[in-house]
Amino acid sequence: MRAGRIAALLLGLLAPVALAAQQAPVLDPSVLLKPPTDSWPTYHGDYTGRRYSTLTQINADNIRNLQLAWVYRLNTSQVFANIGGEGPDIPPAAAGGFGAPTIKATPLMLNGVLYFSSPDHVWAVDARTGREVWHYFWKTRGGIHIGNRGVGLYGNWIFFLTPDNYFVSLDAATGKERWHHEIANVKREYFSTSAPIIIGKQVLIGVGGDSLDVPGYLESRDPESGLVIWRWYTTPRAGQPGSETWPNAEAMLNGGGMPWLPGTYDPELGLYYIGTGNPQPVLTGKSRPGDNLWTCSVVAIHPDTGKLEWWYQVSPHDTHDWDAAQTPVIFDGVIDGKPRKLLAQANRNGHFFVLDRTNGKHVLTSLHTDSINWTKGLNPGGQPVPNPDKEPSIPGVLVSPDTNGATNWPPPSFNPDTGLFYVATSQSYSMLYLTDTDDRPQGWAAAERGVGNLGRALKAIDYKTGKVKWSRPLGMGAGGSVGGVGMGLLSTAGKLLFGNNGAGDFVAYDPSTGKPLWHVGLGVNTSNGPETYLLDGRQYVVVGAGDVLYAFTLPH
Amino acid sequence: MLRKGSSAVLLWSVALAAGLRAQQPAPRITAADAQFDQASVDRGQQTFVTQCGFCHGANARGGSSGPDLTRSELVQSDEGGRQFSEFLRAGRPDKGMPGFEQLARGDMVDVATFLHAAIYLNANRRLYTVLNIVTGDAKAGETFFSGAGKCGTCHQVTGDLKGIGAKYDAVALQQKFLMPRGGRGEGPPRPAHLDKNAVRVSVTLPSRQIVKGVLVRLTDFDVTVFDPDTSQTRSFVRNGDVPKVDVVDPLQAHLDLWPKWTDADIHNMTAYLAGLK
Repeated sequence: MRAGRIAALLLGLLAPVALAAQQAPVLDPSVLLKPPTDSWPTYHGDYTGRRYSTLTQINADNIRNLQLAWVYRLNTSQVFANIGGEGPDIPPAAAGGFGAPTIKATPLMLNGVLYFSSPDHVWAVDARTGREVWHYFWKTRGGIHIGNRGVGLYGNWIFFLTPDNYFVSLDAATGKERWHHEIANVKREYFSTSAPIIIGKQVLIGVGGDSLDVPGYLESRDPESGLVIWRWYTTPRAGQPGSETWPNAEAMLNGGGMPWLPGTYDPELGLYYIGTGNPQPVLTGKSRPGDNLWTCSVVAIHPDTGKLEWWYQVSPHDTHDWDAAQTPVIFDGVIDGKPRKLLAQANRNGHFFVLDRTNGKHVLTSLHTDSINWTKGLNPGGQPVPNPDKEPSIPGVLVSPDTNGATNWPPPSFNPDTGLFYVATSQSYSMLYLTDTDDRPQGWAAAERGVGNLGRALKAIDYKTGKVKWSRPLGMGAGGSVGGVGMGLLSTAGKLLFGNNGAGDFVAYDPSTGKPLWHVGLGVNTSNGPETYLLDGRQYVVVGAGDVLYAFTLPH
Repeated sequence: MLRKGSSAVLLWSVALAAGLRAQQPAPRITAADAQFDQASVDRGQQTFVTQCGFCHGANARGGSSGPDLTRSELVQSDEGGRQFSEFLRAGRPDKGMPGFEQLARGDMVDVATFLHAAIYLNANRRLYTVLNIVTGDAKAGETFFSGAGKCGTCHQVTGDLKGIGAKYDAVALQQKFLMPRGGRGEGPPRPAHLDKNAVRVSVTLPSRQIVKGVLVRLTDFDVTVFDPDTSQTRSFVRNGDVPKVDVVDPLQAHLDLWPKWTDADIHNMTAYLAGLK
């Protein structure tokens, strides 16, 4: 049964392989099923979300020799770009401030070419030289241009999402567009940031956006036609299981829950794991009493059918914008002497969760950030119980973490050699004021004024106990703690953990102790998840910082 | 439900709307959001309240029988009143909504503008207005000031805080006592190391020389110090704990309060300080 499923999955991908094997980069789907070595074929490198590499050429003993191979600065000029899109030549004001393009995508690397994106742009860059191979530019109709996590690869096709909610496919060899399909209405303030994940002959994508009260959904699309295979709404419809956690059908239909980051996949169990977004309206629960399933949840979906297998809600009845989109990392471990198939998430709400990924049963909950002040503790199922006094009020409540969370989207890492889960955390505080006092509040419904931060840190959590084994404070400046909310991480069998220090340095830490072993000043913090692969027998480490992609390797 | 020919219903809805209207001023669109014509928004609201408010609520968020129009995909997708007007003319008789073919095209566009403005204000959190936050007990605030808050250790209401309630609006005032750093409510932004409350550092070199000043940057690898007296900056590479670095945050007492404040304490302190005119 399982073997049959995998065989079918592989067969489904052979056709494009045969067609384009000569000149185009073609993804052999079997690489998706094992740790990445000579490619980085999917957002997390493989399906597990561990962001762990078995490569050891670059290691703790020689890291001091690591040197720059090349840099690529984002080219956003339309002059030599392949141009597509439904928008006008001059971007609409509704698209908001575009700001400087930032690399939040994890580039995919296949056959010596890196493929990555930022809002409205996709690039192919030569992984040996850093030279641009092609650039695709999308003329936008609008949508919030906050970030894009990257592209998906199937055969020789590229897939990506745009801020104005188009699912676009390009030819990986040339960057020429195949087709595009609208997946959500930008006028409803949907915007799309996720990286498509390929499972068998399906492309899994999710939508984002929480400015208006609209429903969230995950979709499977056909890689050839781009058409919908199934759609799974992140909130139930009237009468369905879960609807008892909402007051009425309207609240559910407008209940949010955007699955705005890529998920993980266990091919043996045949389950896709993804974290859902916060409920709507965002910062007040007045019009939606109840737990509000399946918002702020880790869910397991059958990729063939889009059916929900299990769910675990990490923030019942959230009123602080703490979605559960953070990576649900899957690994096998030992709990109380028994081998277990596990899933772990370091959540934006300040808690670390370990679940049994076969059935969603709770294993443990712990705090990864000390400052949090919004719960009345945990219920018997390990779920934080929100303190209603910390829901935004007119005169304001002081809440930690702030709405950006104690951590956020940047990918964490799990290292099977140390048994440690690595995540960057932030002890932020904000005042939250209810501004929409209507019985039918809408949108975000409250105002936030930042207060400050008691310190950010890179932490290593023992998955067996949930305890923080080591914590490395990030940098400081005249205003106190510095750094972003979360940081992209990568650990390797070479006894290295790559991340940043909040102060613009790219750092390799000792994954056992958190001691820094190597660093280089990039001027701005790394802005995506670092990755590593072998190319021509040499191991590279590639990371984005702002609008520059850096590749490092050892000298010949 | 609403029949434009039915004067009784119309009158009732006007009366209802007049009552509601006092609490629901027309969405105010700032000059920065020039895509909305305020006069059109105001006219549209007037028409909406009288013609549509009975079913859809005076603020369009749903009423006695009609759905929330600010959440309507049809309304949200409308462009300049075109699709909206077309829909309005026909109505949705199967669901009890009459057509409004007698309404002038301009009125329909105004109503659409009003709805778009309302949706825009719902969707743009930066335009939300903080309401009255001076709700606490000033007396209790005073007690906290001199008691548990230990504010009197550094501050006097007859000294540095004299008239503070007249200097800042309540939100800025609250921000300042929670975290005074960051130039809140004061002039243009400036570099963090020029803030009078910037984090201080003292670096002890192997020669035992001590360099003191404002902390510009501290990492595992280096430390940078700014001397406010000479405006000069010095940096030192760190190797483990050499040179020795001691950090002092002049606002530590404020940071220490964050985990201790109750929200009532904050509201009371706000009321107390806001009253120091």
